[in-house]
Amino acid sequence: MINFSRVSLVYPTSTKTILEDLSFEIAEGEMVLVIGSTGTGKSSLLRLINGLVPHHTGGILAGDISVDGVSTQLVRPGELAHLVGIVGQNPAQGFVTDIVEEELAFGMEALNIAPDVMRKRVEEILDLLALAHLRNRAISTLSGGEQQRVAIGSALIMNPKVLVLDEPTSALDPIAAEEVLSILHRLVHDLSLTVVIAEHRLERVIGFADRIIHIAGDGSAEINLPEEILKRSEIAPPIVHLARALGLSDVGLSVREVRRMTEEIRTSGKDLPREVGQIGEIAIRTNKLSLTYGEKKALNEVSTQIHSGEIVALMGRNGAGKSSLLTTLVGINKLSSGSSEINGIKSVDLKGQVRRETVGFIPQEPSDLLYGQSVHGECQQADRDNQSAPGSTFALLKRIVPSINQQTHPRDLSEGQRLALALAIVISAQPKVLILDEPTRGLDYQSKALLISLLKNFAKELNRSVLIATHDVELVAELCDRVIFLAEGEVVADGPTLDILLSSPAFAPQVAKVMSPRPWLTVSDVMRAVAE
Amino acid sequence: MKSLHPLTWWIWSLLIVGALISANSSWLAGISIAGATILVWRFAADAPWARSFWFSLKLGAFILIIRTLVGILIGVPIPGTKLFELPILPLPSWLAGIRIGGVITQERLLSSIHEGLIIVAVISLFGAAVSLTSPHKLLRVTPVVIYEFGVATVIATSALPNLVQSISRIRRARLLRGDENPSWRSIALPLLEDSLSRSLELAAAMDARGYGVSRKRSRYRPISWRGIDSAVVLAAFLILSFTLAVSR
Amino acid sequence: MKTFTSDVYRFSLSSKIALALTSVFAAAGFTWPFFAPDMEGARFAQYFFWVAMPLAFLLLLTQLSDGSLDAKSVALLGMLAALLAALRPLGAGAIGIEPMWFLLILAARVFGSAFGFLLGALGMLASALFTGGIGPWLTYQIFAAGVIGLLAGAFAKELRGWREQIYLLLIAIVSALGYGLLMNLQFWPWALGTNTQLSFIPGGDIQINLRRFISFHFLSSMAWDIPRAILTSVLVLSTGPAVLSALRRTKKRAAFLTPIEFSERLS
Repeated sequence: MINFSRVSLVYPTSTKTILEDLSFEIAEGEMVLVIGSTGTGKSSLLRLINGLVPHHTGGILAGDISVDGVSTQLVRPGELAHLVGIVGQNPAQGFVTDIVEEELAFGMEALNIAPDVMRKRVEEILDLLALAHLRNRAISTLSGGEQQRVAIGSALIMNPKVLVLDEPTSALDPIAAEEVLSILHRLVHDLSLTVVIAEHRLERVIGFADRIIHIAGDGSAEINLPEEILKRSEIAPPIVHLARALGLSDVGLSVREVRRMTEEIRTSGKDLPREVGQIGEIAIRTNKLSLTYGEKKALNEVSTQIHSGEIVALMGRNGAGKSSLLTTLVGINKLSSGSSEINGIKSVDLKGQVRRETVGFIPQEPSDLLYGQSVHGECQQADRDNQSAPGSTFALLKRIVPSINQQTHPRDLSEGQRLALALAIVISAQPKVLILDEPTRGLDYQSKALLISLLKNFAKELNRSVLIATHDVELVAELCDRVIFLAEGEVVADGPTLDILLSSPAFAPQVAKVMSPRPWLTVSDVMRAVAE
Repeated sequence: MKSLHPLTWWIWSLLIVGALISANSSWLAGISIAGATILVWRFAADAPWARSFWFSLKLGAFILIIRTLVGILIGVPIPGTKLFELPILPLPSWLAGIRIGGVITQERLLSSIHEGLIIVAVISLFGAAVSLTSPHKLLRVTPVVIYEFGVATVIATSALPNLVQSISRIRRARLLRGDENPSWRSIALPLLEDSLSRSLELAAAMDARGYGVSRKRSRYRPISWRGIDSAVVLAAFLILSFTLAVSR
Repeated sequence: MKTFTSDVYRFSLSSKIALALTSVFAAAGFTWPFFAPDMEGARFAQYFFWVAMPLAFLLLLTQLSDGSLDAKSVALLGMLAALLAALRPLGAGAIGIEPMWFLLILAARVFGSAFGFLLGALGMLASALFTGGIGPWLTYQIFAAGVIGLLAGAFAKELRGWREQIYLLLIAIVSALGYGLLMNLQFWPWALGTNTQLSFIPGGDIQINLRRFISFHFLSSMAWDIPRAILTSVLVLSTGPAVLSALRRTKKRAAFLTPIEFSERLS
């Protein structure tokens, strides 16, 4: 179906070879996963399939690419729309109109499809993706998962044979991500659709992939069965790391497979002693905190305490009240009743300088915090705001990301680098508490590891507190001491990470699922249990 | 009146405007304004564009007042029934030698009001047509010949709600960075950057979906012209014919 | 085989001709009070242009919406027009405080005068749709805004740095005052009517009419045009470098006129 023959790619403005002499074939009905660190060319590879590279972006292309026999050299991307549908990284940015039904029809109108054919196709897609009840809704009011489904629908409306998706689940919570992946799985198996998907977070996707393309940073790429690639790749989900660390002969792709291979270890490994962390003073305290928006009660008598030296995860479905709690804690929303203080200061009194020095907040989009023209400019501004020595913020940043270039515009940085910049700016004010809202969205494993070590250092070495709102169970397992679980504005669970994550199958990390009923959450837990 | 064709009210108002002009009657103007008000009150949807009519009325009232005032102050005198007199204040000659004040006659006043009223009526009819027509629907009947511009308009109007969301998001982030009164600049620049990168993503998506490939385009749900549309237009046409006939 | 990606929107020859013709017609639409032969003619002209200007503009758009309005230009146009529309009402109706002009001028500078013309027009249209201020004056506003975009993108394309700032400052002042002048021109006949001492005299001597208009313009522009000119200048100067750099980076990332090459092997 898709044929790459000795493909090499260079963009006209740079000298770096993105892809070098790449050849592979993808058969009809295959689901192929593309992995690689940030900036290695995953997006370029995907865009080569429908011709956006080079027709839309420019570029020097050697070799030949054809989809179902049609060479991408000869046709414009739009002429391939009936063969290849593509869903970009940020679906909300790809919508032309604001109404679901009109959005779905847009591509067909542009291609002058007959009205009755359009009507039929729109109905089919609405049914296929369970969007029928949303057909007249404004897209800007839909949830992330719903928007993603509309984007997929817009790509599928032309009945393409190939669907290409660039990080479709990065912006979604686990439930929405599961939905999207199972829809794709169904399309592959029921309609023999060929799917090519690029992802950072492999835990969810790995079970569906028929083959993996791994792109190294130097332009070379390898395509092979998942087991083969994952045996050697640094980019791998926890169960693969587990299998490799345990020295297993094979690498399992699903929890079930690895469980079968680790029966012995489950029975023989020792129990780990409970670590009682140093509990410092109370840094964040809420007492019967309630927040009402008009009719709706966003938070209902939330009482909790977070001590310095603790790293706490705030989990729960979208709409459970996580963001409301965070914004109330930092004083952006006025609470309706109860109390909330950080470091003894009432949340409502947190303003300006006081707020900056008490709590650092990294929002979901770290780039919202950045408005300077260069990394250098941002750091200087931070130095000025904090009245600290010039250069101190940048020094801090350098320790997190040594390779960062001062002159780069913040928008040109990668996700991980932007997060690092935001962290450096926020931490340079030396706040007592650090609050992060979904920090690992769009981060690759490497950046995530960096974030984990940074936060651990901040909390443990400096004896400060960290509160993270997240869906990322693996992050919580690696990093957090405690988990607070919110549902419908109420605290449903509040306890040590080990207890909370093990108590619910939906929220257990992969290692825990493999090692159940033993209480081990991470690869290092298992290794320690085995070593003793 | 959701089911009316988007052009119906426009054609209707243009025809009534024609009638107004040929009749040149304040009474007809007044009736038109009243009629338009009733129609908008009864039929306009509860949506942002429905404000147009009330804005037109306010503007019309404003114009009427200005005309009357200006007519009183610096109007060209029309001899007739004297109403009152204002002291005469000559202005410097480089200001075209205008004189403020003088004898204000009834004819003067009525003449200003008559002219003003017709203008007000025309503006109100335009406003009514706007209020009674959904711009979304109007965009859907844009002729294929201006398709590209139509798409740009759809993009612009669809992006507006997102802009509002982005502004509050960015403003919140600025507050968090310790900036109690975020300068509009610190909100506007990230907003600009956001919008620009959004437009690039959008362009790629459009190209991928086939925009620009075909010179012709089809319409998803063509809006048909129905009997009731003809009825409305016919009514206006009759009024126009009547006034044309009478003014001969 | 070597080609290029599309260019940012530019006027083709037929578009330039269409624009020239429409400009002549629009000029008549703005200045008819000086040439109306008598009262009847004046009445006719007022309403004729109110109806004919939109039609003329529609015809112009028909010509301009040719194949060269590709996805990148359309997407940029749409998003920037949305920003213009969002900016405009920020003055909350305060006289002359219309913060949209600086962005139009800067965007036209970066993307060219053809783009600027469409952006001005679309921005004004989107703004009117947004605020609901639609009336017979709208086409005049649209055309005037388009002309400002056209002007801002037309000259001295090589300038950078402080010289560019000075040039843009000039454009800002001329645009703000020019827009006010054009708006007053179309406002004059129907706001004042024909029987005030400042009104136009149908069939009158052009010198006298000019003098009257200038007095009217002078008296009314103080409140609107001066604040507009000041605000636009301040915004252009203070945000100019940042906004220009953002726009130029986007233009680069959009990969206009970037080489596309298909070769056998990469060298």
